[in-house]
Amino acid sequence: MMELLTVPFMRHTLIAGILVALGLAPLSVYVVLRRIVFVGAAVAEISSAGVALAVLFQIEPFAVALVLTVLTFLGFSRAADSPRLPLEALIGMLYAGGSAAAVLLIVKAPRGEGEILNVLFGNILTVPVPLLWAMVATFAIVGALQYFASKEFLISAYDPDMARALGINVNLWNTIFYVALGFAVAIAIRGVGALLTFTLLVAPGAAALCFVRGLGSAFVVATAMGLIATVAGVFASYWLDFPTGPAIVAILAAIFALSYGYAAIRGS
Amino acid sequence: MANELVSVRGVTLGYGSRVILKNLNFTIERSDFMGVMGPNGSGKTTLLKALLGLLTPIGGTIEMTPHNGVPLRVGYVTQRERLDSHFPLSALEVAVMGRFGMIGAMRRPRSEDYAIARGCLRRVGMEPRAALPYRELSGGQQQRVLIARALAGEPDLLLLDEPTNGMDLEAERAIMELLLDLQSEKSTTIVFVTHLLSAIEHFARRVALITRDGTVVIGAKEEMLAPDNIARAYAAQES
Repeated sequence: MMELLTVPFMRHTLIAGILVALGLAPLSVYVVLRRIVFVGAAVAEISSAGVALAVLFQIEPFAVALVLTVLTFLGFSRAADSPRLPLEALIGMLYAGGSAAAVLLIVKAPRGEGEILNVLFGNILTVPVPLLWAMVATFAIVGALQYFASKEFLISAYDPDMARALGINVNLWNTIFYVALGFAVAIAIRGVGALLTFTLLVAPGAAALCFVRGLGSAFVVATAMGLIATVAGVFASYWLDFPTGPAIVAILAAIFALSYGYAAIRGS
Repeated sequence: MANELVSVRGVTLGYGSRVILKNLNFTIERSDFMGVMGPNGSGKTTLLKALLGLLTPIGGTIEMTPHNGVPLRVGYVTQRERLDSHFPLSALEVAVMGRFGMIGAMRRPRSEDYAIARGCLRRVGMEPRAALPYRELSGGQQQRVLIARALAGEPDLLLLDEPTNGMDLEAERAIMELLLDLQSEKSTTIVFVTHLLSAIEHFARRVALITRDGTVVIGAKEEMLAPDNIARAYAAQES
């Protein structure tokens, strides 16, 4: 175990994994409860298209991805209020449109495909130190917001009419939630890639909600599951020579399957 | 005038250019126990939303008389079917939400907020189930928790949207008797919306009858439940 920690890039990998788990796993509880699971997937594609666009025009990819991610989440916060269109239709079209745009833009980009794919999808094994610090700052702010604005986030999602009757500005708090989510997702995708980001945005919350009896414990259990899966995935990938991101995703999927099975057997 | 809690003057309500209720003129008195009834789609919930301040009138004014110089506090009991059962919340966690409007932004509920919420659960007979998951309670028990949640905000006016919907007669009676008890205990003004004639007939003191042509007629229960008034409200539904 100590051997892994002496390898500098594996140390960074472990730290990056722990940071995204701490940042995204608590958010996953709300992502599942707000029924916006596939928003994460669609936003990853939009973010990718933004990166490809930035590479094509030789501007800073992360800034473009961040702006597009936040704007897309803001768009979703408004779409949730629309009586005309189910949200999933919009999510599906953004996913398809984002994927197509990313591919078309990559084809025309002046850099090599491998380099672009690395920028597009991130790689947990190659997270640079400055990005680790950016993750610390972003996830600390998002985490603090989740803690201190827990009542606003809860009632805006659970009973918006009651919230408005109590004088709570539901639109404002939904916007704050989606902007925070946008920042967290953008930086996570940049660091560890779209697949791991998406999975950490869903699996810990979904698994925790299978058996917890309180919302507070859902956040604690989801975070613990995210951390365990990430650390186990990093060690498993090192010892068994597996790619790290998919190893973490596989462990998260297994945790979810066990939790879901437990809930099904228990009949809840 | 001194007893007037809410004054609705020449109010027209609707969504965009679509008018649902027009030229409403009525008052809600302190300690009122008023039922609002009308056919499906007649605008009962629209009226409730306007009283809650969730819907701005197209025309006219709704005035809330401050209580001892303090702005009127309105408690709202939503339709329980509209709450998402996936949220793993205990009865106490649901009840404490009623305090959220009294706690500053970005502040978490304190122990006294939980104590007040627990007290409100006691008032509605739900304290022994405070720790149980809300979603595992029966319909009647959930309704009691939602009433406790509204009470936790220490309201002057309690508005309830279809409080006995989907309940059998016994559960309906238990909820309505609970509301009557709460009303006589603290003189809380109560307005409830329902499409069930039985709840109005047995429990309301005053009745607001919404007719199909978008007007509201208010009066004593006996007068409003006269056959010609009921026919006026509901007969148009057939045409």
